[in-house]
Amino acid sequence: MSIGIIDVGIGNIGSVSNALYSQGWDPVLVSSTKDFKYLTHLIIPGVGSYSAAMRLLLDAGLATAIIDFVSQGKPTLGICLGMQLLSFIGYEGAKTEGLRLIDGEVMPLKKIKGLNLPHVGWNEVTYKREHPVLSGIKSGLDFYFVNSFFFNARNHNDVIACTDYGQSFPSIIGMNNIIGVQFHPEKSQINGLRMLDNFCLWDGVC
Amino acid sequence: MKRCTKCGLPETYETIEFTESGVCNMCVQHIYKAEVIDWDKRKLTFDKIIQDNRGKYEYDCIVPFSGGKDSTFTLYYLMKEYGLKPLVVQFNHGFMRPTLLKNNERTFKKLGVDVITFTPNWNIVKRVMLEALIRKGDFCWHCHTGIFSYPMHIALKYNTPLVLWGEPSTEYTAYYDYRDNEIEVVDESRFNRYINLGITAEDMRGMVKNESEELDPRDFAPYTYPNLRDLKKLRYQSVCLGSFIPWDTKAQSKLIMDELGWEGDEVEGMPPKIYDYEKIECHMQGVRDYIKYLKRGYSRVTQMTVLDIRNERMVKDEADKLITKYEGKKPPSLKVFLEYLGMDEQEFNNIVKKTVVPPFEPDFSKDDWSPKTWDFDNLYREKN
Repeated sequence: MSIGIIDVGIGNIGSVSNALYSQGWDPVLVSSTKDFKYLTHLIIPGVGSYSAAMRLLLDAGLATAIIDFVSQGKPTLGICLGMQLLSFIGYEGAKTEGLRLIDGEVMPLKKIKGLNLPHVGWNEVTYKREHPVLSGIKSGLDFYFVNSFFFNARNHNDVIACTDYGQSFPSIIGMNNIIGVQFHPEKSQINGLRMLDNFCLWDGVC
Repeated sequence: MKRCTKCGLPETYETIEFTESGVCNMCVQHIYKAEVIDWDKRKLTFDKIIQDNRGKYEYDCIVPFSGGKDSTFTLYYLMKEYGLKPLVVQFNHGFMRPTLLKNNERTFKKLGVDVITFTPNWNIVKRVMLEALIRKGDFCWHCHTGIFSYPMHIALKYNTPLVLWGEPSTEYTAYYDYRDNEIEVVDESRFNRYINLGITAEDMRGMVKNESEELDPRDFAPYTYPNLRDLKKLRYQSVCLGSFIPWDTKAQSKLIMDELGWEGDEVEGMPPKIYDYEKIECHMQGVRDYIKYLKRGYSRVTQMTVLDIRNERMVKDEADKLITKYEGKKPPSLKVFLEYLGMDEQEFNNIVKKTVVPPFEPDFSKDDWSPKTWDFDNLYREKN
């Protein structure tokens, strides 16, 4: 397996890379299109703003490379902002077109009295359906979140799990060989590490 | 002491909880084991694990092996049911008894297996036994950490990811619970949860060294759990056969006796014959059981009878009679043990007193000894 992590300077590369390393993998950082050549799996991490991140991906020519990688049926994981970038459109920063891999828009979480934004901390992830990447991890367990926006998926079938923070929002989405998680598996202790490990062992088939 | 209304386990038992009707969680999870777990499905899961590993590595699997009833059955089952090529790994705690050694030779020859036996440095063993006794009232640290970590080192050395243990801990305690309906993974978190008494090998090295000496870290390697990344890189799988087939020690003991000529033995402080298949592997078992009695007010007779009561093979009255007759007696091996540690019985009692689990209050004045086992005189003595 050759696990690539997109590195365009948008955040949590180190923690994702360390988490994978602890699980016995040797991830490689991907910052140019030629780095894709030997990859079997791709992880799009991300902390920051949707519009800025999309700009960086486009400038480096990585947006097309990611879309091309996905079209080959290879397993691809988006984490947090990396998950949101899989959408068609985002509204953080400015209205911005995303990677257009899973239909939906990235919208701000509703402001609800008594609930601070961003949504920071551990919260329950409740499954809507099974998925190979969730194998051996029970529904209803807690994962670590940091988000103010959420992926408003157009198709119910693309929603794998939901989380409640005053409103229910998709915390795991997926379609074919793509999966995206709103929380940070690399910061979610044993269950998050297991999820990353499952992803690395996944063949991209559901 | 409060006791389970069904099996009689006392409140000093590790991980015990009681329902409103006073039944303990071990009894409750036993019912779950029998009635809820889909054992046919579990067996299919195991078939898949075997299929994924067979013929692909230096060995099909590692089988950690003491030679007691559980590991012997496990090895027998893996050979007969699946025809595997295992590497048997034995950690010698220093107290293996003659019947066990004979059993082992017979088992290995009859089944035709490769075996590695490892015996750690006795001088270190003595020091860590003393330290663990003082700190935790449990001198078996070297054995338990060695048994569970050494085979993992061998798995790495022989590039063999599958490590197959025998009995799951859910048979006796609720550190893992049949009711969670999960496969108990024999990994570092389990090791840290209740195997190593909260003392890592590195801790232990620091605890036993004198100010004037630097102990060689290599002497503590056999007790150190291997690096997680190395194990993960191997894609290791370390599980108990008893998580995939319903465990039945009594039936399994009979099977290995019939099929392999495995022999039981006397054990200090245990009723003769009836439980002669249980814990026959260690000369110091009697001391361990006696300490347990002093700390918690019950011993191995209770632990054995509760299994029979749960399996409806014994009524409680019968169990109570056995417990009254056999439990709490001093084992003759205590004298040898104290010789190893260089202390007298008063010092020993003072140490154990500090680790007593309330509300039990031990009576140290009883001077009732259980009989010597036939092989008592075979024991290695420090003073010849």
